[in-house]
Amino acid sequence: MKQGFEVKDKALFDAAELILAEIKAIGADEGETWVSRSALTEVYYELGKVSMVRTVFSDNVSLKLLKDKRKGSTTFNSFAPEDIRLAVQEAWQAAQSAAPDEAEGIAELQENLSFSAGEEKPDLDAMYRQLEQLLKDVRQDFPKISFDSIGIEHQFGEKLYANTNGVRLSDRRGLYQLSNMFMAKEDGKTSSFNYFATVYENPAARVCEENRVRRLLDETQRQIVTEQFAGSFEGDVVITPGCLETILYYVTDTYLGDGALISGTSPWKDKIGRQVASPLINIELVAEHPELPGASPLSGDGYVAENMPLIEQGVLKNFSLSRYGAAKTGLPRSRNNGSTYVLGGGDTPLEEVIAGIEKGILMGRFSGGSPSPAGDLSGVAKNSFLIENGQITKPLSEVMISGNLGNMLRDTVAVSLERECSGYWLLPWIRVKGVTISGK
Amino acid sequence: MLQDFLQAYVNKYGFSGYTELRAQQNRNRSVVMLNGSLTANNSGTSRGLSARVVKGGAYGFASGTGYGDDLEAIARVVQTATNNAAFLDRHVQRGKPDFPANAPFTRKDGLEQDVPVEQSYLLGIVDELDSYIAERFPRLLSRRIVARVLDMEKLLYTSDGVVSHSYVPRSNVYVFLTTQDKDGQPVELYKVMGGYGNFLNKFPNAEDLFGDIEKQYEQLILKAEGVYAKPGIQTVILDSDLAGILAHEAVGHTVEADFVETGSVGGPMFGKQVASEKVSLVDIAHDAFGKLAPVPVFVDDEGTLAQDQMLIENGILTGYMHNKESALKYGHTPNGNARAFDFSDEPLIRMRNTCILPGNDKLEDMIASVEDGYFFTDMNNGQADSTGEFMFGVPMGYEIKNGKLGRAVKDTTVSGVAFEVLKTADMVSDTVTWTNSGMCGKKQMIPVGMGGPAIKVQINVGGRA
Repeated sequence: MKQGFEVKDKALFDAAELILAEIKAIGADEGETWVSRSALTEVYYELGKVSMVRTVFSDNVSLKLLKDKRKGSTTFNSFAPEDIRLAVQEAWQAAQSAAPDEAEGIAELQENLSFSAGEEKPDLDAMYRQLEQLLKDVRQDFPKISFDSIGIEHQFGEKLYANTNGVRLSDRRGLYQLSNMFMAKEDGKTSSFNYFATVYENPAARVCEENRVRRLLDETQRQIVTEQFAGSFEGDVVITPGCLETILYYVTDTYLGDGALISGTSPWKDKIGRQVASPLINIELVAEHPELPGASPLSGDGYVAENMPLIEQGVLKNFSLSRYGAAKTGLPRSRNNGSTYVLGGGDTPLEEVIAGIEKGILMGRFSGGSPSPAGDLSGVAKNSFLIENGQITKPLSEVMISGNLGNMLRDTVAVSLERECSGYWLLPWIRVKGVTISGK
Repeated sequence: MLQDFLQAYVNKYGFSGYTELRAQQNRNRSVVMLNGSLTANNSGTSRGLSARVVKGGAYGFASGTGYGDDLEAIARVVQTATNNAAFLDRHVQRGKPDFPANAPFTRKDGLEQDVPVEQSYLLGIVDELDSYIAERFPRLLSRRIVARVLDMEKLLYTSDGVVSHSYVPRSNVYVFLTTQDKDGQPVELYKVMGGYGNFLNKFPNAEDLFGDIEKQYEQLILKAEGVYAKPGIQTVILDSDLAGILAHEAVGHTVEADFVETGSVGGPMFGKQVASEKVSLVDIAHDAFGKLAPVPVFVDDEGTLAQDQMLIENGILTGYMHNKESALKYGHTPNGNARAFDFSDEPLIRMRNTCILPGNDKLEDMIASVEDGYFFTDMNNGQADSTGEFMFGVPMGYEIKNGKLGRAVKDTTVSGVAFEVLKTADMVSDTVTWTNSGMCGKKQMIPVGMGGPAIKVQINVGGRA
């Protein structure tokens, strides 16, 4: 929910105002701060049992100040006035030794707003019941699955951004999150590990009823005994939604983010308005979406984030630049530089996406190093299956793919109608042609 | 330095049941300069208190910021942990007895390393390195210098009378250089320097690093002019960086007892041949080869006195890494692998300094023994699996032709199944090199050391046909 600026926890407001007053008093030209207070409650499963209940109370502060465009910043976890004064002095001293950078600055005055979502108080009994139910459902429906760990947590926090230009923004939200790691085992053999994470508002929901969860558990159970193949071939790769999120993160980092554009290494640095991907590709960075409670309404540098297309019908529409990155490169600041992805517009049923493939793989997870600055990447196609003559046939191991991020988006030949949602992302399956697939 | 307010709390309230009480302060600094622009100039402190209570086998944990002399605040954290344990105990009713008590002891380790360093000092080193690189190598496409400090200080009291106060500093400088190849494509190479110790001692002046940067630039130019590796199974000498990450990622994780319990490949292979008899692998606690290990752990966060944990001895899988609970379950001895990253984190089973032990071969003899293969010298991020299957990036390496080093190799990868690859190790060099810059992720991040000699193996190379 969006409303006029209002901070419920007065301690946050007081801390932020004191920080800005100290920043001005010490002689800085500009300054900004994030102040937050949160409580996390977790029910945790490991070593074959529900093992722990954990509570974490946190106060956190970060601040940045500028003097003659020289920057100093620090983080700490106390609202005590004496700690605030020490932290401002620390940042001040750091700024004294820093080289000036004309691109430095803080967010300009804008409408002061507050956002909120979810519940403040955790329902610990419901969290425990949800975990027990998940374990029971998995034992019954997926008996070969073995969880290494499961954490169900509720985190409530309020955070406040304030700067010396008068910007005041806050966000207050309480969300549940489930994360885990699991594998399947039978007769002394094990599958690769797998995992999923979900963010949500209702701890009464039955996790194992979600299609994505059932698919991942089912696929992992079928990967205990895998096959390898020799040699390599050029084929089609169908990338699953969870795996696609990894690829999109790489695309943003390698082609569209501050680092790649400031350093000048991005091959897409002059490609705004140009075709960089298949016309089937539509990627949006999201700040607000009814299915994505994990989306953040605020950017890290003190702006209200907006939904923003990165690529529309294959045409590059925006970079993902912070205020600093924009000032440094002379490009416009992006309305969203987060990592909540929505990829839409697919119109091919998943069955048909796979049906058209003569030889290729279904890739559940990509395990590899970061791409080179040119976007070249190679790594192991984890949790993957062979596709032959339009059918998913055998589970595979020790299969590597190599290619180039830009080429993969350019060579996308199908986007599925179906999508999966984690609460952080909403993504389809995509099919990429002509990827080098190597066996053992 | 953390003041000890816990003693006063223990004197006043004592402990009721199995309890670990930990105050902790992590201090970090980072400076990043990209093409002469200062993109990060940060310092930070994370300080707080945690308590972990075990009741009938159920764990309750709580933490809070604001560690100080307010004993009531400490009591509230302990009470919240106690309430959490009681909540879980009501539900699970395991009825397990407390862990066997350790003999009480008090230790102080590394406290003399707490030498404050000013942010300006890091800035000075980075600025000097940046200026040197800009002037010396003007044709680079991009340069990035990073200075990073992470100092971890812990004060632990346990209900069985263990008191441990430790300080472990880490200081690193990263240098990233990017040039272009003949096709105009960017080619990058980075190096990390430093490790255990405070920044002032590790980097007394920038000039000391110039020689390494010269070598790095020479390697970068060779790489830009280099060739792609041939894909497929190849004879490869993995230098210590790669042997170290193989030991950590591909073997180490599969022999952490929690992962074994879940079903990792380390479970059924216990007591069996998993590597060539030339391979022995150990997780070192604090001292190795007459020196302090990169991430020394003298007492873990459950209060266990840390000892080395042998994992593979002459090719046989002989040990797992444990916390108190898993050690009890397996009938093994815990050797200090329960570690937490931040004050708000509970101890998990973690590696410390994982290292393949040195062999008897000389690196030059190993290279001379390869007719057609590769010598891979550097690694970047890698990942491994419960099955022991792994993949690591190789940003620098060379061809070996007829026993001699040849052309440089562009970015490639190595992959395989750890126990299968280690069974092919037929030469192991006599010199161990450590790296101390890595953070291992497993619910929490944690600093780890990795080390090893060079090993000669048969391994899958992800080159280009």
